[in-house]
This record gives sequence, structure tokens and C-alpha cells, in this order.
Amino acid sequence: MKPAPFTYHAPVDADEAVGLLAELGDEAKAIAGGQSLVPMLALRLASFGHLVDLRRLDELRGIERRGDDTVWIGAGTTQATVQRSDEARAAVPLLARATPFIGHFQIRSRGTVGGSLAHADSAAEYPAVALTLDAELEALSPRGRRTIPAARFLTGMWSTELADDELLTGVNFPVWKGRCGFAIEEFARRSGDFAIAGATVALRMDGDGHLDRCAIGLFGLGPTAVRARDTEAALLGSDPLEADAEEIGRSATEGLGSVPSDLHGSAPYRTRVGAAMVARAWRRAVQEALHG
Amino acid sequence: MADVDTVDTIEIHVRVNGTSRRETVRPRLTLADFLRVNCGLTGTHLGCEHGVCGACTVLLDGEAVRACLVFAVQANDAEVTTVEGLTGPDGQLSTVQAAFREHHGLQCGFCTPGFVVSVTAFLAENPKPTDEEIREALTGNLCRCTGYQGIVNAVRAAADTAGTAVTEGPA
Amino acid sequence: MAPTGGDAAYVGKRTLRVEDPRLLTGTGTYVDDIVRPGMLHACFVRSPMARARVLGIDVSEALQLDGVHAVFVASDLNPGVHEQWYTLNGRDNPDTPRPPLAEDEVRFVGDPVAMVVATDRYIAEDAAELVVVDYEPLPPVVDYATALDSAESVHADRPDNLVGRLGGRPMADLDPVFERAPHVVSQTLYQQSHGPVPMETRGIVAEYAAAGGEMTIWAATQSPHEVRSFCARLLGIAEHRVRVVMRDTGGGFGQKVLPQREDMCVMLAAARLPAALKWIEDRQEHLLAAGQARHEHGEARMALDDDGGILAATLDHVQDAGAYPTPSPVQSGIAVGMLFPGPYRIPEGTFSSRFVFSNTSGRVAYRGPWQYESMARETLLDTAARQLGLDPVELRRRNMLSREELPTANFNGMPYDHISPRETFEQALTMLDYEAFRREQVRAREQGRYLGVGTCTYVEPTAGATPFHATEGATIRIEPSGKVNVYVAGGSCGNSLETTVVQLTADSLGVAIEDVSTVQGDTAVTPYGAGTGGSRSGPMTAGAIAGTAGELRERIRAIAAHRLEVPVEEVEFVRGRAWAKGRPGEAGLTLAEIADIAYYQVHALPPGVPAGLEASGRYHTPHLMIWANATHVCTCEVDVVTGEVKLLRYIVSEDCGPMINPSVVEGQIFGGTVQGIGGALYEHLAYDDDGNPISTTFMDYLLPTATEVPVIEVGHVETPSPGPGGYKGVGEGGAIGSAPAVVNAVADALAPLGVRISRLPLTPSSVVGFVEEARTRQAVTL
Repeated sequence: MKPAPFTYHAPVDADEAVGLLAELGDEAKAIAGGQSLVPMLALRLASFGHLVDLRRLDELRGIERRGDDTVWIGAGTTQATVQRSDEARAAVPLLARATPFIGHFQIRSRGTVGGSLAHADSAAEYPAVALTLDAELEALSPRGRRTIPAARFLTGMWSTELADDELLTGVNFPVWKGRCGFAIEEFARRSGDFAIAGATVALRMDGDGHLDRCAIGLFGLGPTAVRARDTEAALLGSDPLEADAEEIGRSATEGLGSVPSDLHGSAPYRTRVGAAMVARAWRRAVQEALHG
Repeated sequence: MADVDTVDTIEIHVRVNGTSRRETVRPRLTLADFLRVNCGLTGTHLGCEHGVCGACTVLLDGEAVRACLVFAVQANDAEVTTVEGLTGPDGQLSTVQAAFREHHGLQCGFCTPGFVVSVTAFLAENPKPTDEEIREALTGNLCRCTGYQGIVNAVRAAADTAGTAVTEGPA
Repeated sequence: MAPTGGDAAYVGKRTLRVEDPRLLTGTGTYVDDIVRPGMLHACFVRSPMARARVLGIDVSEALQLDGVHAVFVASDLNPGVHEQWYTLNGRDNPDTPRPPLAEDEVRFVGDPVAMVVATDRYIAEDAAELVVVDYEPLPPVVDYATALDSAESVHADRPDNLVGRLGGRPMADLDPVFERAPHVVSQTLYQQSHGPVPMETRGIVAEYAAAGGEMTIWAATQSPHEVRSFCARLLGIAEHRVRVVMRDTGGGFGQKVLPQREDMCVMLAAARLPAALKWIEDRQEHLLAAGQARHEHGEARMALDDDGGILAATLDHVQDAGAYPTPSPVQSGIAVGMLFPGPYRIPEGTFSSRFVFSNTSGRVAYRGPWQYESMARETLLDTAARQLGLDPVELRRRNMLSREELPTANFNGMPYDHISPRETFEQALTMLDYEAFRREQVRAREQGRYLGVGTCTYVEPTAGATPFHATEGATIRIEPSGKVNVYVAGGSCGNSLETTVVQLTADSLGVAIEDVSTVQGDTAVTPYGAGTGGSRSGPMTAGAIAGTAGELRERIRAIAAHRLEVPVEEVEFVRGRAWAKGRPGEAGLTLAEIADIAYYQVHALPPGVPAGLEASGRYHTPHLMIWANATHVCTCEVDVVTGEVKLLRYIVSEDCGPMINPSVVEGQIFGGTVQGIGGALYEHLAYDDDGNPISTTFMDYLLPTATEVPVIEVGHVETPSPGPGGYKGVGEGGAIGSAPAVVNAVADALAPLGVRISRLPLTPSSVVGFVEEARTRQAVTL
């Protein structure tokens, strides 16, 4: 099980990297941690004439508080770094809590934030977290920089808004303040496996104990992570203690199109598990918002 | 059709178990094959070559990684430690290795180097783990012989031994 | 027979393993670690279709790639086969087809159609992609369960797809008993395909020196001598011209007992190549083509009286053989039916077993290959208990054999003795505190939580005396320095055979364990032997060492007596030192001094004692088999929303007789148990309806990890066997008892919902499916 040949490039900065991607076209693939890409190369499910390694791009690494409302995380920052970061834990708790679910620690020591988002596996945690928190993704191409809202970033299974010559450079995670609760729940066959279904919940309560912000993310239940926006809208302004978690789970997973079916579970089964994960995450998030 | 990677080779410099190595490699050569074939360090085993079994785990700049999911060219200028590098100069077993022996944490031994390297990294980061943390940390390595019983016991013992050593050391 | 010289200093102790230092430091030698000058590498081109006619193979583009040495197809290699049969199976027993490369037809996805040889594996894989095979698809026979009625045939000369059938008396004979019985319970349980999946894949290096006609093979094998004999026959060269070497093999579990088709290709090709040829299977190939096991179902029936006494039992069993089983399943497959009665008083019964070809990966041996006897029986007993309104433990107590009832024979004539089923059963239940668990279960159910307990008690023949397995040799050489080397055939794949042999030899001779080393796994050096398999290594090597060491020990004492000028009976020899009885303080003789006499002062030897200190012996077991037994008890909690099964406690009470090394015994049980847990809950070599395998990576074929496995508690009951040292085999049992115990625990947890388990594995989605099915069924009946 050996990868097909390729030409290797290790640009020194992001401009050189996107220049190479532009020049080499669809024969080229950027490699960051490689934890999803290299297995596909080894299994020869994919092959590329050129790999553009991002390892020398120090500008893509780091976790920084930017102003009061934002934490910037460089796309090349490893998941292990996120897991060790006090800043991430304090300011973006949902991201910190999602991180241990990614593979195993040996995977997280190479896998990156940007790699996980750009790979856009529908069962992956980080895309769901970005979507739930309304993160903004920074991209660079030879045409310049742009910012893409998470909601527009994920376009399908393993496909994103990024152009072939465009590189994810960082993610701006909004810092939610106030009486907030965050939870992620997922169900996998074994520890570290991709989720059969998972859910993220982020919510905030106003002074009267009513929800004034609410986001429910689902992953593993379609071609991309999705938000249960109708359910969220129905919950806004309500008292979360009066809500029925199971009913929220059902509502959030209602009408999902193209839920995958495979050896590990049929579409109806995944939907059922997804509903249970929403309910569990909901209860935990509410508890946190109430009691800290 | 010519084999592109025979002409397209790259010189890399890697410190392996403290020894500096300069080699010319094909880009697609995995770090695992580099260690096994170019360096002759056959303790790094290939159990799946797609990043699941953990038998090829090595330390790359101190962090445990799958050597099958890293290309040798990506380890340029890095420090690599393999299972062979954990053993003392006269062959004495490390704390982790000794605990695996004491607690029958291995049978066929094929997965063992990956476990030993992973556990070494894990205990360095989390020297006083709970039993639950130990089991969770071991999920990145597959073993088909031991049912993990001896391995879990060995990690517990290695953590406790190392903990004891710390408390018994000079205050 | 006590095989020890003096006190047992090492046998019975948790002696540290002699294998460990090299394995822990990365300095073991597995087949992939072998490098030979100019060595070439093989990669197979495999069929992407379950069944197709091969219309043509174009290798021209592959051959043009730099570094490619050769591309072999069936017409190149297959005519080189001289003779092809396994010693294990015997020359004259019927076997199934086994062409090295596929000829006119491919018969499963993964079927090897060509072999590329190149300077390294990377290039060999590049070239394999360039081989163009023209296939004409044919309708495959995917489902073994319907294969007997299929209009299509896996092998044209077996139009009905039946490999063979075996059985006892006609089922109809039992009709009167079943008709009269107050209670009849029956069920059909389907078990999914899964397999040994050792962490080291298959692999072989073959190097042929044409000038001298010598073949040297390094292999990942459980049986180096089988590989040697097989290769000699295959190539038509003399057996002593073939040398097979194995040092460390990374797990076998039955998978590496016999060479398979790819090994044949490497042997045949190596004879035509100028340098050694290496093939290391990758994991995807392994999950495609290394074989499958345990893929079977059976209708099991029991007739019971009003008190729950079993009156009769039958099993109608069908097993998948795949396209190319290794070897034919018919011979060994009879064990399922023969052992179906298990450790119970069942006055009469019978079985039928059919083995069926399908267009899937071939059946191979897997640790406790007859495991389905326990699966069928133990799950049926739990179903019977529910049907009769009895506690499953109570039902078993009314029917299970205990020591006092032995010897006895089951209804198939299998002669049981030296076992303790009831004793292990009670010990395991006590360890659990069964009554307390039942109380906890009631409380949990009141809270809407589903807890369950399951048991499995089995008896198991170990160290069976088939012609290949009935003898085992040992050579012990005490070097002139007094250091000891013991040579046995080997084949250890993690079974700790080196440590076992060193322990046994140190005690049998009466020397310090540090002074004993062992040489195994080299056919040029060791005695002939069948290798590891059939839970035979403990009892058989113990026999071989006891006899050989006993002979040497007598020689040692004779030499010492002569030198010390006392009668032989007066010589003590303990921990490598001889002295005259009652005079331990006086200068005696060390083993080094005795060896010096034996090798260099031959004139000083007593009359009749030969020079040197080396002996060889071969143990021939007089026992058809040595019985072992155990009980597994498991508790679990089932989440009926997600279907997740969480194992809570796991207990094994076993009787392998006296233990040579308790750590090794427990290690074997732990490993086997977790393989059974994997089989019950996680592992599935699955195919889609078109015969495409859908679990060919470790992301889909789910081996249990440390978090899926509970702490396993082991209790020991000790009933010595009639064999050497009273030992019994213990390699396989863990993998027999565990899956049925887990299935019973899940069924027990879900019993209040009316769940009936009919298919394995018990994945979360299938558990939810069973719960839903029960709800629907009950809604209909209400």
C-alpha cells in the first residue's frame, strides 16, 4: 500500500504556496497534516502529480485573541495545539471540547485546524463547530485575501468554497459572551472513529433566562455538516427549561435529505442517533448556561 | 513511461535516535519506510499503512505520530525517535518497556513498538493519568494478542513507577 | 508423570518472558525485516470483480516501467506446480481447488490474476496498476446461504456449490423424541464473516540458489515444517533442499498455519528469479484475500422435559467456504457438530454440516474453528430458559456435567474426561455474585436501563492426535560450558513458546533458567514438528522435553556418580549442581564440570555413557485429545436509543490443568476473549449484493480497542489431564466462549422487550433493529 509518485514542493510562505497551486492547477494538492490525505494516497484512492506542503508556513500557525470578540486560529495549527491551548479552552470552549473526538492523539499531533475544515468530511467535528459558532474562514489566493462565512464554506462531501488555488490561512472564531452553554455529543462505533452521527449545541440566555442566541449543528447526517435553523428559530426567545430535549432532537433531524447509509448504519438509524445526540448536547448546554 | 520519482529526488537531513542522517529520497517514501529501509530501524512496524493500527508510531520532534502518514521529506530537519531509541545504551529497558515485560503487555510483539512509543509520549504529557485516560490514550494502537489487559496494567504500573521516582527524588 | 527434576523452580511461576527484551526494543526479526542481496518485491494484480471470465491480460505497459523485473500470469506459474497438498490434511483426503494464479475465471474480489516483480514495492504497485485485464463479468454466487440453490456455480466441476457434507444419524431418527417432548425450542442464528486478522499481515521471502538446487524461505508462519514440506512438493524438489526460517511472527490465530495461493506464487516465481523475492501483504490485501472464518448459520433444536431436562438436541449447520478455502473445510469442519452437545447430559441427538462455495474470500482456520457449536448451543439454552420461564443458570445446572460423572461420552461419541464444566460454571457465577447482579438488573429495569448477563460453558479438545500433530520432538544440547540449548520446531506467533520451553527444560533438567536458551523456527536446525495450532504446544512440547531432558538428566547423574564415587541413586542434581546425597557441603560438580568430562575427558566417563551431552527425543501422545473447559460470564448494559452495548464485567473460569506460566495462560485467555468480543460486536468482513467487499480497511473492519474491552477477571480450576505434566492446551478457548456469552448478555438485557437475536454482529444499528422488530411483532400480537 504505497502512494503513487508525485513531485514535492515546500514553499516558504503562503504567497508562494498559492502561486504554486495556481501554476500547477488540478494536478496539485496542498498537504498540511496529511492525516486524511495520506491514507487516500496510500490506498491509491487519490493521486496528484504535485503535493504542496504547507509545513514551512509559520504564518499559518498560532492561536491569538484578536480584539474582544474573536479568536484567530491559524489554519496550520495542529489539533494537539488547540487541545493544549488555555486560550482556546476559555474563549472557544466548543472547539476545545470537540478536539478530543478527532481521531487519536497521534493523529491530532499532525492534523490541523485548516486541514480538517478544507477536507470537509461530513462526519468531522471542526466543520460542525465552525458552522455552529458562525466562524469566518480566511482564504488566500493569487487574487488576494477573502473571508468566507462558515455557512457558505461547506458545499458538499469533501468539497468547499475554496478554489483550486486558494488556501485556508486561518479561522476567526467569535467569542460568545454572557450566560452561554456549549456541548458536543457524538456516537461512534469505537473511540476515535468517525461519528455515525453527532451534534453541537451553542446557546446563550438573556437576563430573563430566555434564549437570545441558539445554534444546533449536525454532522455525519448528510453531505456536509448542517445547522438545524428551523429548530433554532423556534427556540429563540423561549425558556430552555421548558423545552423537551427529545422533541428538539426530533425536530432538528426532521426532513434531512441524503443521510448516508453504510455498513455502520442506515439513514433512519443515523437520524435516530442524531436526534439522541442533539437531545444530549442540548441538555448539557442548558445545564452549563444555567450553572456554569 | 519513465518512473517520475526516480529522477525527482530530494536530499533531507534528519536526526534519528540522536544520529544525524543525510539521505536522498523519493518524495513518496513514507517516514516509516525511510526508517525501516534507509535507516535499518526495523522496530517501526507496518500494520496497516493507512494510519489506524499505530504499529508505526514514532516520535517526531517529540510528538507521537504515525510514520506511515508522514513522508520522509516532511521530516526534513526534524528529530525522530523510534522504539530503538528509547532503550538505554546497554540495552536496558525504559520504564515503559520494563513495565510491559513485567505485566505481560505483549505477546507476538508486532504492535508493541507502536504501543511503547505512544505510551512514552502519553505519559510524558500526562504523568498521572486516570485508568480511563489510559484506556482512551491506548485507542490509537491496535493489539490482537493481549486483549489490552496486560497493556493497561503496564501503563498503570509505568505511571505509578515514574510517579514514585519523582516523589522519591530530591525535594 | 512429573516432568521435573527436583522441585519445580520455574514451572507454575509467572516467569518473565525470554522473547520480550528483543520485542520491546524493536530488535525482533519478522519476515518484513529480512533483507537479501538484490532482493525483489512482489505485488499482486487482483480481481476487482466477484466473478468474471478472464479474456486476456496485457502486461506490456507494466513491463516497460523502470524497475520492473517480470510480470507473471497463470500460464507462467501454474504449470510449475508438481504436487499440492497440506501435511495437516494428508495426501489422500479430498481437497478443494487451489491454483496459484487465477486461470480462466476469477472467483472473488481479490483473486490474484498476475504477480508483478520489481525492485521495490512502490514500483511494483505502480506496475500493477498498468496491467490491463479484460474481464467478462459473470453473475456471482455471493450469499453462501442460498448458494446450494443457485443456478450459478463457483467452480464449474461443483455445480451444486457443495464442498461436502458431514453428519451423524439421520435427523428423522429424532422425530419421535421431538414429537413427544413437552417442550421443543429451536432457533437459527446467523454469524457473520470475520477472521483472525493478525497485526502482522502475511509475508514470505523465498530465495532459490539454482546451482545447488537449494530453496531458503523466510516466512510469517505457525508451522515452518509444513511450509517446507509444502514447498518441496510444490516445486518437486527434495525436502532437505528446502530450509524455512521464522524467528518472530506477528500473530497467527490459525491464519498462518498453512501456505496459501500467494505463497505458492512466490515459491514458484523465486525458482525462476536471480534473487530473493519478497511479498509482504498489505492490510487491504489481507482484508480482501487472506481469508474469512466463522461465516455460518444453523438451525439448532432442543427437546426438553417439564423440569428443563434436555431430552435431545440437533443442529443443522451450514458454513461458508468461500471460493478457495485453505484447506478444504470438510475434514476439520466436523468438529462443530461433534462438539455441539457441549458439557451437558443430552441423551441423544445428531447434526448435519454442509460446507458451501461462494464467490468470496476463502475460509481459513480461526482460533477455535468450531466455535459455532458453542454459539448455537449456548444461545439456544438461553432461549429455552426464556421459553420455559426458567433462569438460564438454573436450566444449565439441571443439565451440566460435573467431575463426578466422568468419564462419559456425548451423543456423538466424543469421550469426555478430566474436565470440570460445572465447577468452572459455579466458580464464575460466584465471582460475579450472580444473585446480586439479578437484583441490580431488576433495579435498573425499573429506571428504564437494560442490563443483562450471559454465560457460555464449553468443552474443548486440545492437542489432538491427528497424524501430523501426534508427535513432537525436542533436542537438548548442553554445551561444553554447561549452558543449555533446547531445540524445538517452533512456530510461535506470540504464544510464548520460547519461554514455555525454557521453563520446562530448566525444571526438567534441574538447571537455572538463565542457563537455558532455545532455538526454534529453523527447519535446518530443529527437530521436525507441526508448529503451533490446535492448542497443542503446551502439552506436546512438555512431553518432548520431559522425555529428552530425563534422558540427559540420567546421564548427568551417572557421570557425577562416577566422579564422586557414589551410587547413582545417591546423586542429587539441582540448579546445575550435583553432589552426593546428605553431603551438600562437600565439593560437588557443576554442570560445566560434568559437561567438560562428557566432551573432553571421554575416558573418564562411566561405562556405557556416551560422549557429549546432547539428546533428542520424540514424544508420541497416546491420547486422542486432551480435554479442557471453561465458563465465560459477561454482563452488559444496552442503550436502546443508540443500540450501544457496553460490557460491564467479564469473567472467565477455566480449567487448563496445572499452569506452566499463569501469565501466559491468562494472556491467551485475554486475547482469545477479546477476539470473541470483536466477533460478537464489531468485526465484519462484509460484502455487498454484488460481491464487493466493503470492509477492506481498518476504518471499516473494526478491531476492538482498549476502550471497547472490559477488565477480564480469570478464575482457575485445576483438573490435571492424563498427558505430560497434567497440562492441557489453552490457546484457543478464549475465542470460543466469549462471543456466545456476549450475545447471551445482550439478549438477556433486551428480554423484557421481547427481542430475539437472529443475526450477528450485534452492531448498534442491528441492536436497534432487533428492538424495533420486537416492538412491531408485539404490536401485531396485541
